[in-house]
Amino acid sequence: MKKALIIPAAIAVLILVAFVTVNAYRVPTLHLPILEGDARPATVRTVEYVVDGVRCRGTSMGFARMASQGGGVVSVTTYARTRSAIVEYDPTVTDPDQIREAFMAPVVRDGVTYQFFNMLSQTERD
Amino acid sequence: MRILRTVVQMIFLGGAVALLAKGLAGVVPANHNCEAYCPFGGIAALFPLVKYKAYTCRLTELNMSLMISALILTIATKKSFCGWICPLGTLHDWLRKLGSRIFGRAFYVPREADRWLVSLRYVVLVLVLGLTWTVWGGDLGFRAYDPFYIIFTWGGHGTLAFSVYIAIAVVAVALFVPFFWCRYLCPMGAVLDPFSRAGGLRIRRNTDSCTDCGKCDRACPHRIPISQVDEVTARDCTNCLECMVECPEKGALELSCYGK
Ligand code: SF4
Ligand code: SF4
Repeated sequence: MKKALIIPAAIAVLILVAFVTVNAYRVPTLHLPILEGDARPATVRTVEYVVDGVRCRGTSMGFARMASQGGGVVSVTTYARTRSAIVEYDPTVTDPDQIREAFMAPVVRDGVTYQFFNMLSQTERD
Repeated sequence: MRILRTVVQMIFLGGAVALLAKGLAGVVPANHNCEAYCPFGGIAALFPLVKYKAYTCRLTELNMSLMISALILTIATKKSFCGWICPLGTLHDWLRKLGSRIFGRAFYVPREADRWLVSLRYVVLVLVLGLTWTVWGGDLGFRAYDPFYIIFTWGGHGTLAFSVYIAIAVVAVALFVPFFWCRYLCPMGAVLDPFSRAGGLRIRRNTDSCTDCGKCDRACPHRIPISQVDEVTARDCTNCLECMVECPEKGALELSCYGK
């Protein structure tokens, strides 16, 4: 009878381990280099946003497209679980506020206005 | 033992229902549904992870971690994932009991057909992974056919108009045929099968105390012939412990942990 307790105990321990180790092998949902090789600027800065709307690979692609439309974005890396987007940019061309305005811009489709992305937080890395 | 298992089942089913309710009320982000906690997602994510160093669709490292935990759990305790955790397994378990009450019996598939039909879950597994990694281009297209996703997102993103009928059919059949989805179609069950065979925590029959009454055989929802073996090694055993509960002879059935 007592051995039956092994099952819920194992379940509890293994789920706990799963949640604790979840950041051990963080792999992005999307890593999209935009300015590569010779096009990559000499000085690159990084900003991290938490974005409502970054849910999966597809929405990450949409985010990258909108965030980079003003130019100066070097790369976009997203993590769907934490809804975070790390954007590298050329500080001589753009800045975090312009990038934010670009991805939060309303989009009109068939006469209907959508706002696909909403920023929840913004942290400049360096 | 029954109460213990029911409590654990209720915790996980309650969690899935709470996620569904929160999703319907719009109080959690759209990607925070039952899919975020599905260990099968870890299997679907494997190939893109190796090839493209990225997760596919909505899968994340949490799916991977839970998949690894589910495999370790199965090596330790056979398919207790199915019998204790999986909300769809719990639904099947309770529908089986309800069906027996209503009809006074279960309608099992004849053994000869059953022997062939159990292999269907491997076909489903190969199809789901193959289509996800090729035709569906990394999208989780199985959502439209997966009763777990359809029920616990109430026809969420990626389901189709006919998806709800699949869920209704699975629920309806489960009333008659115990564990129909789990036994014949579930790809997660197929993944766990080889690990379950090696599972360390097993039912062991003490032939000195056993009177060969066969009550354990009749109690087993997976029709494992317990009274004919010394130890249950069958891949389908979920360690639901129904056989132990029903056995009238003290000590005839015991749980053994790696032979101890
Ligand atoms: S129910 Fe118990 S006594 Fe009866 S056959 Fe099974 S193990 Fe033996
Ligand atoms: S009744 Fe016994 S043999 Fe059958 S699945 Fe449950 S624990 Fe395993």
